[in-house]
Amino acid sequence: MIQFNFLVIPLSLVIGLTLLILPLPEWAKIYRPDWVALFLIYWSMALPKRVGLLFAFFTGLFVDVSQGTLLGQHSLALVVIIFINLNLHQRIRVMSLGGQAMYVFFLLLINQLIVVWIEGMLQRNPPVMAFFGPALTGMAIWPWVFILLRDIRRKAQLS
Amino acid sequence: MKNIFQPERWTVAPTLFLIAMSIAIMFVDHRFPHLDNARAGISVVISPLRYLVSLPAQSGAWVTEWFKTHNRLVDENRYLIDEKRLLTARLQKMNVLLEENTRLRNLLGSARKLSDEVIVAELLSVDQNPYRQLIELNKGTLDGLVDGQAVIDDYGVMGQIIHSTPNSSTVMLISDPEHAIPVQFVRSGLRSVAFGNGNTDQLELRFLPATANIEVGDQLVTSGLGGRFPSDYPVAGIVSISHDKTHGFKSALARPLARLDSSREVLVIKPREKTPPPS
Repeated sequence: MIQFNFLVIPLSLVIGLTLLILPLPEWAKIYRPDWVALFLIYWSMALPKRVGLLFAFFTGLFVDVSQGTLLGQHSLALVVIIFINLNLHQRIRVMSLGGQAMYVFFLLLINQLIVVWIEGMLQRNPPVMAFFGPALTGMAIWPWVFILLRDIRRKAQLS
Repeated sequence: MKNIFQPERWTVAPTLFLIAMSIAIMFVDHRFPHLDNARAGISVVISPLRYLVSLPAQSGAWVTEWFKTHNRLVDENRYLIDEKRLLTARLQKMNVLLEENTRLRNLLGSARKLSDEVIVAELLSVDQNPYRQLIELNKGTLDGLVDGQAVIDDYGVMGQIIHSTPNSSTVMLISDPEHAIPVQFVRSGLRSVAFGNGNTDQLELRFLPATANIEVGDQLVTSGLGGRFPSDYPVAGIVSISHDKTHGFKSALARPLARLDSSREVLVIKPREKTPPPS
C-alpha cells in the first residue's frame, strides 16, 4: 500500500528549498540557515530507514540547480553529513535539545566547509563568515525545527 | 543485543559511491556541456517555486500601482508625454544619421547590422548562490530566449543568458567572477576585456599597455569581438586607474552603467545572425 503520509518529507524539503531562494537583503545572505540540510538532518535522525544517503544525494541535486552551483556540490556535502548522522543518530536522539544543537552546528559546519571549499576552488573567494554564518543560525533555530518536525511526524504517524 | 556504538557498516560503501558520483558530476558539469539537459529538466520542476517566491514582490508593485493617487498618475503621464516628445525629436535626428551612416558604410563597402531585435523580460526576485552574480528572468526558450544572448537594461549591458528552460532563464551578470566582456574605449578606440570580480559596482580591466591612452571618466562600450555581445552597447565608465611601476601594465576599475542590482525590467537582444554555440 502506498503511504501518503510519507509525502510530508518531500513536502518539507520543497518548503526548505523555497526558503533557500527567498530574497533576503544583501547583508543577511551569508547568515541564511541551510533549511534543506536542517530538515534532512531531522528526517534522517528520526527515520534513518527511509531518509538516507540516496535521498540526500538527489535533494542535493535540486539544491544545486536552484542555487546555480555546480551539479553535485550540495549533493556531496549532504551525503557526507547524512552519513555521519546515520552512524550517530541513536546517540543523538536521546540528547537534550541544547546538545543536539551543538551537534547540528558541527554537521552544518562540515556541510558549509565542503560547499564553500568548492566555491573557493572555482576562485570565487567567499568571505570567512560564509563558513560560520549558516552553521550559527542553523544551530540557533534547531530546537524549533526539531519540535516542529517532531509534531508533524507524530501527526502524520510516521515512525 | 545490538551494540549501538558500532558504526553502521552498510552505510560506508554507498557513501563512498555517492561521494565519487558527486565529484564526477561536478567535474563533468564544470568542464563539459553534457549535463545541461539534466539541469534544465530539474530547473523546470523548480520553476514554480521561483514564481511563488517572487510573487510578493510582484504583487507589491501591482498594489502600489493600483493605489496611486490620481494626481500622481497625471503628473507621471505628463512627464512621460514630455519625455516621449523629446525622444521622438531625437529619434528623427537619429534616423537621418542612421541613413547617412548606412550610406557611408555602403560607400566604404563594409557591411554591418545596425539594429537588433529585443525581447522584454522581467526579473524574478529569487536569491541564488551568494558568491555569484546570477539573476533569473521570467521568460525562456518558449519566448525565443537562447543560451548566450546578451541582456541589457535602459542604461547598459547587464550580462548574458547561461541556462534557459522553457519558462525561465538564468543570466550571468557582467560582475560575476567568471564573466569577462570584450570592450572598447569610446575616446581612444583601445580594445580590452572587462572582468567581473563579484561586486555589482565594479569591473576590472587588467593588463592594459603602460602607454595606453586612458583617463578616469572614459566610457566603455562592447566591442563586438567574440561575437557574443553585439557591438556598441554602453558597458561601464572608468573610475580609477592604477599603474604599478614594477609591472609593464596598467590596470583600471570601471563602474557598470547598467543597474545590476536594481533593474526589474530588462531587454534580451536577439541578434540577426545566429549566435555561436556557448563555449
